[in-house]
Amino acid sequence: MAGLFKRVYDWLLRTFWATEMDVTMIGLQNAGKTSLLRVLSGGEFAIDSIPTVGFNMKRLQRGHVTLKCWDLGGQPRFRPMWERYCRNVNAIVFIVDIADVDALPMAREELHSLMNQPSLDGIPLLVLGNKSDLVNKLTVDELIDAMDLKNIAHREVSCYGISAKEETNLEAVLQWLMKFANR
Amino acid sequence: MSYGKKDEDADTGLVKIDRTQVFQEARLFNTSPIQPRRCRILLTKIGLLLYTGEKFPSTEATTLFFGISKLFQNKDASLRQMVHLIIKELASSADDIIMVTSTIMKDTGGSTDAIYRPNAIRALCRIIDATTVQSIERVLKTAIVDKNPTVSSAALVSSYHLLPIAREVVKRWQSETQEAAASTKSSGGFSLGFSSSSANLPVNNSTMTQYHAIGLLYQMRMHDRMALVKMVQQFGAAGAMKNPAAIVMLVRLAAQLAEEDAQLRRPMMQLLDGWLRHKSEMVNFEAAKAICDMRDVTDAEVSQAVHVLQLFLTSPRAVTKFAALRILHNIASFKPHVVNVCNPDIELLISNSNRSIATFAITTLLKTGNEASVDRLMKQISGFMSEITDEFKITIVEAIRTLCLKFPSKQAGMLQFLSTVLRDEGGYEFKRAVVESLFDLIKFVPDSKEEALAHLCEFIEDCEFTKLGVRILHLLGVEGPKTSQPTKYIRYIYNRVVLENATVRAAAVTALAKFGVGQKDPELKRSVDVLLTRCLDDVDDEVRDRAALNLSLMHDEDELATRFVKNDSMFSLPYFEHQLVMYVTSDDKSVFDEAFDISKIPIVTREQADAEDRTKKLTATTPSLKPPKTGPTKAAPSAADAAASATATAQKYAQELLSIPELKEFGAVLKSSPVVGLTEAETEYVVSVVKHIFKEHIVLQYEVKNTLPDTVLENVSVVATPSDEEELQELFIIQAEKLATDEPGKIYVAFQKVNGEGSLPISTFSNVLKFTSKEIDPTTGEPEESGYDDEYEVSEFDLAGADYVVPAFASNFAHIWEQVGAQGEEAEETLQLSGMKSIEDATEQLTKALSLQPLEGTDVPVNQTTHTLKLLGKTVGGGRVVANVRMAYSSKTGVTTKITVRSEEEGVAALVIGSVA
Ligand SMILES: Nc1nc2c(ncn2[C@@H]2O[C@H](COP(=O)(O)OP(=O)(O)OP(=O)(O)O)[C@@H](O)[C@H]2O)c(=O)[nH]1
Ligand SMILES: [Mg+2]
Repeated sequence: MAGLFKRVYDWLLRTFWATEMDVTMIGLQNAGKTSLLRVLSGGEFAIDSIPTVGFNMKRLQRGHVTLKCWDLGGQPRFRPMWERYCRNVNAIVFIVDIADVDALPMAREELHSLMNQPSLDGIPLLVLGNKSDLVNKLTVDELIDAMDLKNIAHREVSCYGISAKEETNLEAVLQWLMKFANR
Repeated sequence: MSYGKKDEDADTGLVKIDRTQVFQEARLFNTSPIQPRRCRILLTKIGLLLYTGEKFPSTEATTLFFGISKLFQNKDASLRQMVHLIIKELASSADDIIMVTSTIMKDTGGSTDAIYRPNAIRALCRIIDATTVQSIERVLKTAIVDKNPTVSSAALVSSYHLLPIAREVVKRWQSETQEAAASTKSSGGFSLGFSSSSANLPVNNSTMTQYHAIGLLYQMRMHDRMALVKMVQQFGAAGAMKNPAAIVMLVRLAAQLAEEDAQLRRPMMQLLDGWLRHKSEMVNFEAAKAICDMRDVTDAEVSQAVHVLQLFLTSPRAVTKFAALRILHNIASFKPHVVNVCNPDIELLISNSNRSIATFAITTLLKTGNEASVDRLMKQISGFMSEITDEFKITIVEAIRTLCLKFPSKQAGMLQFLSTVLRDEGGYEFKRAVVESLFDLIKFVPDSKEEALAHLCEFIEDCEFTKLGVRILHLLGVEGPKTSQPTKYIRYIYNRVVLENATVRAAAVTALAKFGVGQKDPELKRSVDVLLTRCLDDVDDEVRDRAALNLSLMHDEDELATRFVKNDSMFSLPYFEHQLVMYVTSDDKSVFDEAFDISKIPIVTREQADAEDRTKKLTATTPSLKPPKTGPTKAAPSAADAAASATATAQKYAQELLSIPELKEFGAVLKSSPVVGLTEAETEYVVSVVKHIFKEHIVLQYEVKNTLPDTVLENVSVVATPSDEEELQELFIIQAEKLATDEPGKIYVAFQKVNGEGSLPISTFSNVLKFTSKEIDPTTGEPEESGYDDEYEVSEFDLAGADYVVPAFASNFAHIWEQVGAQGEEAEETLQLSGMKSIEDATEQLTKALSLQPLEGTDVPVNQTTHTLKLLGKTVGGGRVVANVRMAYSSKTGVTTKITVRSEEEGVAALVIGSVA
């Protein structure tokens, strides 16, 4: 009986208070965007994830909120398209492989040039340092410096370290995102 | 799918849908949450616009596309289906379409029976490019062998489209394709079922997948003959294929293989024979058609097909009858005697209520019938003409026109028929066909001339078509003065001057003048003068001008005036046209610095032009209701094509030769021989030669193809040694610089006729190919530094009498025979042609070998045991050559012929005979 009540309640919530929010996930290739999204939606982590050609879309359900997550390909040929998929979204998630030091300058450059787009003014940004399970990795503070996050203006910016593989810190990511559900 | 032109009728009866409005509405895609029903309707509108030829500009298409990509992964299966459909259509016009690859890929996979899977697969192949094909390889490979035929078909068809983009990748899917072709799973029939009630694939019971798989396999193996043979044998085995369309593909493939490789002809023919008895009619027809289209098909090979087709003639279904008859009609064009057996059945179809069947029945009978049956058929047709459309009437008139040329002795009946239909109601095209048939009779069947002219005269008295009136008047002007009673025509022509519009009046004036200029009879000349003088008062400028010009030509007559009015020779029109087009469309501005040079256009006599014209008409497969050619078979060129292409070839040669500075000064080429092969087709170097005759020179044009892979030949030349070096002196060789694998090149060897212009040297040439052979370095793709010199000897060939003569046409053989006999010389030879299987065969071969024109319809032997072939031609110097060839056939000895040749020029008769003796 209680189960039934719960289902009816959920249904009412979805119908009358349902909110849908768009989140775009970007970052260089191999950063772990697709892996993170798979894990967030309850899937198994896979070592042999194939590079994304174009984009992927997945819905995550959190209570009465549906998160539509757009996972974009990070290869150079898709980067010019990022801006288009970031317009008017509720939040942008930028994912960095913190074990790949060589790629950092490129990641910083791409991030800053995107954040300078007037069309994206005001959209909150969450920078995630992924693969925290690996040994030779940056700390969150090092990442903030490496990405020069202090110089990103006109928006709310946060930075977390996570691991898609070990599912570390993922709840914090969702919590942060939900803050922007009703904007 | 994109239609070049907007379909004007598309919006009739439908709601008006406007592109800009739809584009505005497309904001709907960005609203959240998504409303599947409304989105589907909007997508349908976009689809309608695209399918009816509307084009979204690239920016709009891109915006739409981004909007639509928001709809991905919706729970509504039908919406997903629509999304894929529209993405597929937008793929060609929107930018960055590659972005949806991953998303679409998700919809293609899995073991689910989701309804949108085939749509996703088809969309995927449209958005992919060569660099990303690899990433969908796994998806497509599994889809090809999917247990659901609809999915499998979608994957096969998509692979077919991808093949040209990424041949190497797609070729790796052969074993999957093979598996799909062999599987007899059936659940297919394409239902597009856009029902939202069921999100699952509908059950599909069709075997169409096999057809798609066979098609793809063929594309993959196209260049590997052995693989193709295997494929035909494996899938052609009884019961291996369920789908008739797939078997039809195999039939075509078998026919193509038989055509390409003589070795394969027997086994393929056996397969084709088997398919004649297949349980599907579609397969039977395709096999019959393939057999009949086979090059040099024998009577025995065709007879089984004819037998099967004959059975279909009595089928209760009209389409079946039609299909059978159409193929028989085709066979009748070249093997009338084989179709003879069906005549009783075909005769029953003459009165068939389906006029398409009836028309084919009649035209077939006109071909298979012998001379005796022609009259009876004509009577039957006459009763039937009033009931059919102009289009069919034209078909029949054209059949009859060919018949006139074939059986000149039947001209009276046909003339009667033509004149009757000329009086019938009918549109321009139909009238034109009749008038042109009459023109042909006048030109080629001398006995019918006066009567045919009389019918035309009567016709212009009441002819509503200015164009036809003008043409008939012109003909009257040309032919009238040569008849016994020219005055008769003058009356008709002058009537036109009084009664017609200006265009016709002007033509009439010109025609009249032809009776006056060069007229010996003073009485007649005076009356033409009077009539023309009256025309000086005409209200129309052109008419007055023509009258004045012609009067003055009549008054002070000289040779120029006569030549101008008689107009006996003319420019070679096809060549003239070609040159003009080349001139006008030239990209090189400097070409226009000089005026078009008309003196380079060869002039032909009316006789030559007529001869060519007649061959073309006689051999043209009659009625213009030609069944469209299907299948990959390139049938052997028909005689008609050959005639048409002969002119084109001559032009091509002339042009090529002119473009070589060294050869330019030799003047115009007088005659070019057919291509003579000097090697087998499958040797390392394939060599052929064309002999070009000039006024004082002979040029041998060798074409050499190097078939060795990874080698190039450099400085390729031919040492051509004539057997008689007294008469021919070599001037120079133009060598081919470089011959890469399979890229043919040309070499020219020029000789001077030692004894000058008039001489006709004959000789046997031995030929040795000389060249430097270099291997290609596989790492750089460049030829190696040093090669080695090599020689290659090819067959000998003859320069013979026939190389100096060109066919010419005249209507009266006996007259010319006597004329030439009186002044010239004669040579005679009796030959035993044991290799010839029939009189027909001999007729064709001898005509070709002697390079002369058959006259009086003698190119079509009526009797199977004896025949007389009458031939006429001219040497390149202009002297006439006539030949009388009597033949007798017996099954034991083959064909015995006695050839008598007469020529105006000395020595030519013997030379010409020499080319066959
Ligand atoms: N060790 C470790 N490996 C990870 C983690 N997340 C992802 N990977 C690996 O990183 C590789 C790339 O992951 P993807 O999720 O495909 O990367 P992506 O950002 O989607 O790449 P593109 O689609 O090309 O932009 C995979 O081999 C993953 O297994 C992580 O948290 N820890
Ligand atoms: Mg990815």
